Amino acid sequence: MLVALAIVLACPVPRVMARLSVLRSAPRAALFAWQAVTLSAIVAAVAAAPAILPLVLFDGQAVWQHFVVMCVAGGVSLVMIGRLLLAGHRIGHRMRVMRTRHRELVDIIARHDSRDAALRILAHPTPTAYCLPGRHRRVVVSQGVIEALNERELVAVLSHEQAHLRARHDLLIEFFSVIHETVPALVRSPAAMSEVRLLVEALADRAAARRAGVPATTRALDVLAGGRAPEASMAVSAAGMAPVRIALLRRGWPNPLLSTVVYTYAAALLALPCGLVALAWG
Amino acid sequence: MAPIASSAPRLGDLERAVMEHLWEAALERPEGLTVREVLDCFSGQREIAYTTVMTVLDRLAKKALVSRVRDGRAWRYQPCDTREALTAQTMRRTLDDMDVTDRRAALMHFLDGASEDEIEDFKAALAEIETRRPRLGLRRPRLRRPGKKDTA
Repeated sequence: MLVALAIVLACPVPRVMARLSVLRSAPRAALFAWQAVTLSAIVAAVAAAPAILPLVLFDGQAVWQHFVVMCVAGGVSLVMIGRLLLAGHRIGHRMRVMRTRHRELVDIIARHDSRDAALRILAHPTPTAYCLPGRHRRVVVSQGVIEALNERELVAVLSHEQAHLRARHDLLIEFFSVIHETVPALVRSPAAMSEVRLLVEALADRAAARRAGVPATTRALDVLAGGRAPEASMAVSAAGMAPVRIALLRRGWPNPLLSTVVYTYAAALLALPCGLVALAWG
Repeated sequence: MAPIASSAPRLGDLERAVMEHLWEAALERPEGLTVREVLDCFSGQREIAYTTVMTVLDRLAKKALVSRVRDGRAWRYQPCDTREALTAQTMRRTLDDMDVTDRRAALMHFLDGASEDEIEDFKAALAEIETRRPRLGLRRPRLRRPGKKDTA
């Protein structure tokens, strides 16, 4: 049962969830549901082997046979946990090293802002904006962004980045990246990963819209995404995320009912593997 | 957020100040500055010890931001690249990172979730700007003047 649940949670469920664009209207609840799916898939996978134990343990076989079964069951779980921890350590370490290196470089080459100690301005005409999460956080924008946007749109961009930093969205993305790399390629779903990315961005967009208003935020997105190459490839980039994010902002704030339904769904997902484990041992 | 300026200047701050002096001097003194000369740049602005400047230059050399050449008994330090070239390089690298899943997560871009095409557009725009503006990069002369033994 648990094996089946783990496979279902790892494969078809994320695919269906990634298609349900209704979920995008309630990004916070949706992200919670994504975490619930992931967590319960892991719990189901890790608990599957030990859950077989009660079945074989009390059927009156020799002691050494129990011992072998227990070793195999425990070993399978341990390997899975070990793989997760190893991937977590590897990815986390690599990211932190990259961020530190990048921060040190940007601190030297970029202009500092007198009002905001964490803001760095790169003297380059290509518009770009990003943030470096972590203990020594930075928001980096290029001169191109400052020139392309008006005051209010700039506030939208900065609020968007600050929302990422404040809510530690990087940890969320890191969590999903680790799982994504650990899960066998056969059951991995790239659509889920990009959906999670979109939800995180949608969440930060909302924070930006609360500060700077929906029109300024959508304009900022539009300018930074499409404004670069006005004549070329507009049709192609319509497949990109920026138009989706603009549409989401225009859709307005989430319906409380939808959020409640999604939260309940997430809670049920979490309860499922725990219930099955209890059943197996009960 | 705490203001960066404090009475005890942090190492990162000093690195930036030293780089700025080196960049400023690079036009007139392409052969680079000695530790003493860098220290002289700070006179009247900040009280720093000779050894501090040495430490900072050493760190900058480790980060491959400056290169050093033996000149008699002293080392001469010169910036490896102009600020403009470094900025362009950094911009390009952050965009490259958007192609690779876990490197992409290290920096959270405003346009994260951009499609391949959008990233391609972005890079094209970047390349176009770079060709329009001739690179101001120092042509590093590798400073291996005849008559001086390079003991590096």
